[in-house]
Amino acid sequence: MAAPPSSVEEQIKQLGDARKLVLSDPTYYTPIIQGILPIVAPGARVELRRWAADFFAETFASPTIPASQKETLSLIVLETLRGLIENPSEDAAVVKSAVQTAASAYPLVFRYIINNPHDTLTWERMLAIKSRIFRIWDSAAPGVRICCVKFAQRVVLVQTKGPDADPRRGDPLEVSLSMVPPDHKLIPPKSLEAEASGLLDRMLAVFQENISDAVLVDATLNSLSILIRARPHIANKILNVILNFNPLKQANSPMTPKIRVMVKSMEKTTRALLVHILKRDPQNPLGPRIQQYVERMMRSRADIFDDASRKRGPPEPTDGLDHAKRQKLGAQVTNAAPKFYVPPLKPGPHTIAELFTVTGDEALKAFDVAMLSEDLVVKIGITILQRIDAETLNQAIDGIRQRYKSLGPSQPELLNPETAPLGVDEDDDDYEPDFSTAETEEQILNKLDLISPDVEKVTATDMALGHFTLPQPPPLTTSQATEVGQGTVSRVFGVMQTLEEKIKKTKGGINRLAASSFDRDAWITILTRLATRTFTGLDGTEEEVKAEPSESEQQSLANMIRESLFLYILEDFRKRIDIAIAWLCEEWYNDQVQVKVNETAVLHYEKWVLKIMDGMIPYLDASDRNVLVRFVSEIPGLSPGVLERLKGLCKNPATVTIALTSLLFLTMQKPPAKKMVLGVVEEIWDTYEDARPFALKLFAKYIPGLGDRGKSQDEEKKSNGMEAIAA
Amino acid sequence: MAQTQPQAAGVNGTSSNGNRPDQGGFKLKFCTVCASNQNRSMESHLRLAAANYPVISFGTGSLVRLPGPSISQPNVYQFNKTSYDSMYKELEAKDPRLYRANGLLNMLERNRGVKWGPERWQDWQVGVPRLEHTSDRGSEGVEGGVVDVVITCEERCWDAVIDDLLNRGSPLNRPVHVINVDIKDNHEEALIGGKGILDLADSLNKAAAEERALNPAGFDSGNAASRSGFDERVPEIIGEWQERWPNLPAVWTLAWF
Repeated sequence: MAAPPSSVEEQIKQLGDARKLVLSDPTYYTPIIQGILPIVAPGARVELRRWAADFFAETFASPTIPASQKETLSLIVLETLRGLIENPSEDAAVVKSAVQTAASAYPLVFRYIINNPHDTLTWERMLAIKSRIFRIWDSAAPGVRICCVKFAQRVVLVQTKGPDADPRRGDPLEVSLSMVPPDHKLIPPKSLEAEASGLLDRMLAVFQENISDAVLVDATLNSLSILIRARPHIANKILNVILNFNPLKQANSPMTPKIRVMVKSMEKTTRALLVHILKRDPQNPLGPRIQQYVERMMRSRADIFDDASRKRGPPEPTDGLDHAKRQKLGAQVTNAAPKFYVPPLKPGPHTIAELFTVTGDEALKAFDVAMLSEDLVVKIGITILQRIDAETLNQAIDGIRQRYKSLGPSQPELLNPETAPLGVDEDDDDYEPDFSTAETEEQILNKLDLISPDVEKVTATDMALGHFTLPQPPPLTTSQATEVGQGTVSRVFGVMQTLEEKIKKTKGGINRLAASSFDRDAWITILTRLATRTFTGLDGTEEEVKAEPSESEQQSLANMIRESLFLYILEDFRKRIDIAIAWLCEEWYNDQVQVKVNETAVLHYEKWVLKIMDGMIPYLDASDRNVLVRFVSEIPGLSPGVLERLKGLCKNPATVTIALTSLLFLTMQKPPAKKMVLGVVEEIWDTYEDARPFALKLFAKYIPGLGDRGKSQDEEKKSNGMEAIAA
Repeated sequence: MAQTQPQAAGVNGTSSNGNRPDQGGFKLKFCTVCASNQNRSMESHLRLAAANYPVISFGTGSLVRLPGPSISQPNVYQFNKTSYDSMYKELEAKDPRLYRANGLLNMLERNRGVKWGPERWQDWQVGVPRLEHTSDRGSEGVEGGVVDVVITCEERCWDAVIDDLLNRGSPLNRPVHVINVDIKDNHEEALIGGKGILDLADSLNKAAAEERALNPAGFDSGNAASRSGFDERVPEIIGEWQERWPNLPAVWTLAWF
């Protein structure tokens, strides 16, 4: 600034005031930037150079300064920027900010050069900065390197062909090679495009290298989204590289806390980018592969991180000859029979191979050694014989000898479990193969049968009870019955909730409940049917008697179950949407049956659909697309009320997308409802102006002339939309 | 949504942390984010501000949702349009006993002392000066409208923040560390989470200040590995922090504004 040299603190304070001035009024940028340039001279204090470099970065990033003004400013600072970046002894923080500034300035200078092909000097400055950044890209500190990556990303964006844009317009994200005339002297498009392609390869190399530095990987991943979106012709190349990248590579070694954070981070960031791409462009031809990759990553991540938190390391292989087990056995072998080692053969005929097989590993048993060459078998054999413990070998030979003997005359004695002692040692049990355990149990039962038939018969006759009748319980009053009914219902809900807990746990490995049919789904079916059908038959009989009050009592019990179901679903509607659908299907079915029997029957389906929707809607946000689409497409009947709710969702900018997406889904998948749905879309068009662009995108092909609809009404509708928001 | 628990009713965030004296020196700029910009992000906003860090806060939800008399009747407000003060007055008029008992009034009381009202992340124009926020706690230092570290309080919010940043296309070319610290949405957990976040902020700021103090002879003289700057130390710092706070699972990435 123009102020005379004073203490650094004072100068920084003055600079801070100047910054506040331009933050409030961007028109002062040009004089202030010019005033700052002298203080970043190489000899200036590092605090001042840092301040100025930060200020440059902030200025060129600021969305409040018009692009044309930034373009002018970029020409002013270019030479200074070059000085900062080229100074080999410059402070890292200064260089970091300078590279950020260069990334923001590059598209500005590029556009200036498109329009001023004769300003060689400016372009040479920019080129010097560019080549210096690419030189320090690999050698600088990671904090600077990530900014070099970002600069490269910006250069790639600028130097590839993009959608046609007006070169006079501002947005630097829109500057692309398509704006450059093919015969431009300073910036020939062909060579620039080649350079961009090389730069992209260099950026993507981080995914192929063996060293995985999470900071660099994340920085690269997070900079790629705009390239994938705005430059479709290089998107496939980028996505293919990412789909071949395994962020969990480092996860197999024991993880330090730092590596854990890095691996988790790379996995999560990769997934976030892919999910983002999929969400923006569901039609992407690589969609299925992306989906697959994302699912695979989620599974592996769950395996690695959940397992690691439960128990360290994978479980030991359960091979009987596994080294660890052999050691354990070795200690016992000194005083135990060799039978421990080699499991005895089952009864029945055997092949020679079975006789000599000592391993329990099925895969190993299936391996045919004849496939190996003779040389190799000899080599392996010699190596094994050289290394094997003599004691182990003797025990194995003894085991085989025992087997061989058992096949001879003494076979029935050894293999007939009838005669085997029942009180087996626990140690023996441990090494008993499964099949023989089963047999033993059966045999124990057989033995018991043989021993005790008489005794059993005697006790049975002695213990028989005389005839007994329970006295009739006192009759319940209606209110008592209702109360008990309510108790039962809440108990069933209680059971269901505990079941849900356990189902979650089964993921952890305890898989007991899945086998029985008393799981949550079974209870839900019971509950929904209790709510919908219990009184159906009764209603019919009571109709003739005209017992009005009692019917209403019963209805209230059914409704109470419904109310409980409703609350249960709303407690966690994202996870319980399947329950809601199952229940509503039951209601719908029951309504249909009821109507057949009695034209004036009270219908429940419509009421509860709307109630559930009203309960869900306040909590819906943009990420709930799947929940909403699933709900509206799977419920068995659509009504104007449901569509009215979907329409209402368009009030809120965050839910416009999901509401319209679900309407589109209905249009495509539910032909009978198509006309009604398209009617609602037209109403949305008329009512909510903010929803128009998206509605047009989705429905243009279903509603011809949607774009021209109601243009004259715009003004009055605008105010309507505003009022609707204030809820 | 800010789920509240009756047992946390007595907890009052306004005076739970003593304002520590400002040591001066370099300060990282923080941003805290939760779903409704009410409970978790505001507790940590206040805590970071009380420790003299520049800090702003946001919510990623579509609307501000506060518990109502039943689960199907939440109190819903618009982001950026309703002040904490008006919510306070409205709820106090509706049912002072209920909203005092479930801690909502205490929470809003704290919040209205921190800033005007809940702000939505997706509506935040990064880089636009925030000069009109001078009365907000922690506003000093974030006039430029950018931060160095974003701390979210729930994985859903982290996902929303990253998705939004990817959507914006990183026009500012400015790196930002985005860290999730998973905190359950109730008053008690928010207090614990706030402490954890302050510890994390202190650790990060220490590393950043050390980097600035190093001032080596030159950034590419000698090999880069011999000096470690702030950015590459972040995973290590979070790893160490995670050992100290095992109940607040963390996720991190380096993203771009």
